[in-house]
Amino acid sequence: MSTLYEGEHLEQELAGESFAAPATGSVLLHIGLVAVVVALGLLRGLFHPATWGGPAAGGAIRATITTTIPLPNDQPPNQNVLATEHPSPAPAPPTPAPPTKEAVDETAIPVLGKQKLSAPKAAPKAAPIKEPVKPDVKPTPNKQPVQKPTNKAEYGEQAANNIPRAVQGITTPGPTSITEGDFGSRFGWYVNQINRKMAQTWNKFEVDPRTPKGARVYMTFVVARDGTPSSVQLDKSSGSPTLDRSCLRAAQRVDTFGPLPPGYGQSTLNVSYYCEY
Amino acid sequence: MNSSKNPVMHKKYLHFPISFFAFICLCAASLSAQDWVHAGTNLGNARIRIASADFKPVGDDPQTPALKATFDATLYNDLSNAGIFDMVSKSLAPQETPGSPQEIHLPQWSAAPANASMVAFGALSALGGKLVVYGWLDDAGNAASPVVLTKQYNEAASQEMARTIAHRFADEIIARLGGGINGIAETKIYFVNSRSGSKEIWVMDYDGQNQHPITHLGTISLSPRVSPDNSRVAFASLGKEGWSIRMFSLDLGRVVGFPGGTAGGNNFSPAWSADGGKVAFSSARSGAPEIWVTDANGNGGRQLTSFRKADVSPAWNPKTNAQLAFVSGRTGLPQIYTMELDGSNVQRMTDGGYAISPSWSPNGQFLTFSWNRKYGPGAPGGQDIYVMDIASKRWMQLTHESGSNDFPCWAPDGRHIVFERSSGGHAEIWSMLADGTEQHQLTKGGSSFMPNWSWK
Repeated sequence: MSTLYEGEHLEQELAGESFAAPATGSVLLHIGLVAVVVALGLLRGLFHPATWGGPAAGGAIRATITTTIPLPNDQPPNQNVLATEHPSPAPAPPTPAPPTKEAVDETAIPVLGKQKLSAPKAAPKAAPIKEPVKPDVKPTPNKQPVQKPTNKAEYGEQAANNIPRAVQGITTPGPTSITEGDFGSRFGWYVNQINRKMAQTWNKFEVDPRTPKGARVYMTFVVARDGTPSSVQLDKSSGSPTLDRSCLRAAQRVDTFGPLPPGYGQSTLNVSYYCEY
Repeated sequence: MNSSKNPVMHKKYLHFPISFFAFICLCAASLSAQDWVHAGTNLGNARIRIASADFKPVGDDPQTPALKATFDATLYNDLSNAGIFDMVSKSLAPQETPGSPQEIHLPQWSAAPANASMVAFGALSALGGKLVVYGWLDDAGNAASPVVLTKQYNEAASQEMARTIAHRFADEIIARLGGGINGIAETKIYFVNSRSGSKEIWVMDYDGQNQHPITHLGTISLSPRVSPDNSRVAFASLGKEGWSIRMFSLDLGRVVGFPGGTAGGNNFSPAWSADGGKVAFSSARSGAPEIWVTDANGNGGRQLTSFRKADVSPAWNPKTNAQLAFVSGRTGLPQIYTMELDGSNVQRMTDGGYAISPSWSPNGQFLTFSWNRKYGPGAPGGQDIYVMDIASKRWMQLTHESGSNDFPCWAPDGRHIVFERSSGGHAEIWSMLADGTEQHQLTKGGSSFMPNWSWK
């Protein structure tokens, strides 16, 4: 009897329960839960108390699309060789204030012997009548005429160039210009090579970003027969010392531009090069 | 009852893994190797647009057409491999084959669709076993004085000489238009090849042509390094004393003595200084592998590093000859270091991962090496070639997702890098520009390793 009980018990344990009904119930319950969540969300969406982005206060901010942003223009520096005659406008100093009358304290107790109260009551009556009538005419004293300072800055936008510049035979457009007249027309490919090599070695990140766009620094160097540059000198500063230094360093960094063309008779070549930021 | 239920339950339990696996397969089907595009602003300057015209055949020698075809193809490939030209494709070039400056119509070449700013053209003739080539380089924009370069060559008539003359003419053009840096068309690449059964030292032209063996030692020879004057090749070879550095004389055609490279039986990776006076290599004769320097004849050996972990793979700074880059395991995984020639001022270059095989660029500014950054902090990846600016330690990855890339070596113009790419046990030699573009496979057969570019 006991073995039979154990056997049946064992069989029941090993038989395994059917889980079809509970499983479907569970799935249905889950679906029901999801449906309730979705329905609540939809209902809330339909009957939303607060409208987001509406015209009411606390709603959206309208953004207008513009085509330009009114930043101040970056003025490229004037490439004129001469200084301009237009002084830059600086505000004139305020006109000297008219001497104010000493403020009289009516409540002050006059100290005998030291201070006399003027009669403030009589003056205001007479003042509005008299002063507009009186013309403000003063006899001009006989003094040397003093040139009044205009209080405007006397400098122009462009620094005057004092370095004498030879007439340059610019035959190839671009930053390089050769003083020997026909080199650019005969060996344009070599001038292109100088341009290319300098553009390669110039590190624009060395320049202070506050330098105005279009600022140019002119420098000169001498190219030897084997193409090595030497005598790198600053010709005309751009006003930005970092730009000047970066351009000079670029020329010093170049090992060689390539040997000078054999058709060119001289032993060196003078090159004027500008770096434009 | 039990047995009837169990198979049903097994089937149900199998459903989940099968569907999961199918789901993963579906996702994996959309993954594939990424294409890489390099873009940016101010990436280098505008390349010179050059047209390599077909040379005019002169005379009716039967050898001429075949030699001319080789010459034209080699010249075009050399100019396009230089990395500084924008080639006018042959289909856009005008139909004429000018043989001299009087015959060429430059406005045709500078107009659309060719838009060439330079034209290389000339005449070729094979007469009586001699190959005579006249070549000109004209500036197509300069009508007044167009001729930039004029060359004449006279060699024996053979395919190899046709290629050699094309290489020389291309090198002249590259040297003239490339800002004074000599072209690489006449340089050679030395490498290890095992197709003969054992790993021997081979040599080939820089474009993969003309591969032939140099050594026939019948044993394993690794890491060939040619001397700066192209007279000797140093390599590591397994002999009866163990691994030793040996010298092969290209002038004599046989192995010559190198006494300093044998002691210890554990000598690897030789490296020549740029003046050819010293050889650096790694030797374990004092215990752990350290960097040793001897002179070019193998005398006067001097130990430079003395850290107890391995210091291997030296590479000289070719510009100053006063610094060495090497691989050291002193922090665990191998990293790239640089040091002065007396062993001082050891600087660490890489910050993690697994970095090996440094090579110093000819202008002294960059290091190229093989790096797997997956070992340390950084983006995951395989073994790839990187270029690092030594002064700022900023690096750039050149190869992506294309097998395991190792043993990079700079070309003497500083514009190209040759390296070994291996995947699935097959190793080939590839070359590319130093920015990772224009990767070309140079060898076939799956058995080429450890390339080394000659100095000139």
